[in-house]
Amino acid sequence: MKKNDILSGKKPLNILEKIKENLERLNDKMEVMIELQRHDKKEIQSFPDASLDVMTLLSMPDHLRKTAMTICRYGRATAQEIANQTSRARAVESAYLNQLVIMGYLKKERVGRKAYFFADRDNQE
Amino acid sequence: MKSIIAVHSYKGGTGKTSISVNLAASLAKRGRKVAILDLDFRAPSLFSILKMEDSTLWINDYLNGASTINKILQETNGKGLNKGKLFAGLANPSTEAIRDMSAKDRKWEMRALGRLLSLRNTLLKEQNFDFIVFDTSPGLQYSSINAIVSADLVIVVTTSDRSDVNGTSRMLRELYNLFEKKTGVVINKILDANLDSKKEELNKRAKEVYQVSLLGLVPCFCEVLKSQGNLIFVEDKPNHPFTKIMDEIATRIEKNEI
Repeated sequence: MKKNDILSGKKPLNILEKIKENLERLNDKMEVMIELQRHDKKEIQSFPDASLDVMTLLSMPDHLRKTAMTICRYGRATAQEIANQTSRARAVESAYLNQLVIMGYLKKERVGRKAYFFADRDNQE
Repeated sequence: MKSIIAVHSYKGGTGKTSISVNLAASLAKRGRKVAILDLDFRAPSLFSILKMEDSTLWINDYLNGASTINKILQETNGKGLNKGKLFAGLANPSTEAIRDMSAKDRKWEMRALGRLLSLRNTLLKEQNFDFIVFDTSPGLQYSSINAIVSADLVIVVTTSDRSDVNGTSRMLRELYNLFEKKTGVVINKILDANLDSKKEELNKRAKEVYQVSLLGLVPCFCEVLKSQGNLIFVEDKPNHPFTKIMDEIATRIEKNEI
């Protein structure tokens, strides 16, 4: 590390950003683990070819249907945006969204520090 | 308030299409820009009621990703619509198209849901439509549930037929409740509608059996049956009691009093 970088604080800031990003990822994973423990594990099965159609929505447990319905309406959204609509906590929505990703119904994409969730309709030809 | 309205029923023959068309015309009559879409792909009928039998592009093409919604919507020549506009998107009535639509898989239905949901943006926001009315297939099937999920308000048309009452109440409990949709019920083809005891009985049914808001009680009008689907009462018979009931429902929708 160059002396000037340390003095200007650029490098340490970058490192802190990276640490924060990694902590957020860890947090996402922990939320999923907590959810897996809270609900019956059998409920969270992965279907590699899953599609988020209305009959699937109907068969979902109530707590996941609410999240899935909201993402259907938005197309693409962060956990915070979904939480604003469902009036549930961001961490709760993040856990449900990650569950839906594990189940194969949603895709997740990170843009900088934000994680976006979406139903990948176009690639389901 | 701009909104998407799905008109649905448990059984066929409840008067769903008649109520959809007249409601859409009543909203247009108030100067609103309205689109009515035929989503009953098993038994398309809007083309016939609106006498638009020369169409070459259909809602089927939009849902198949073969056309944009703008190319499909056609303006109707409705009478007495003042400054309002009524556009229609028709379902393809050919046997081949009906067969094709009934053979779609889950992934197609998922994309179709995405296309219906995107109408909120294309029609309500970009094209400045005020209302979209979906006329759906009866019962529990993909095209209808896609429409229900995409809508802001669902109007369930029902009759006093025993199997219809039972089926409707089960459908409201087991389907609508799960999707947490704002729902109103219209009881159609009522006999002895002028009797106070009858009105009381139906109000009680809506409250206790259906447990949703009662949007309208429509008597069985011989004139509606006699017209054999040739008249749009809201346009052709502006002073008929049927028109008045449709206007009352349209007012409640406009004011969001449901």
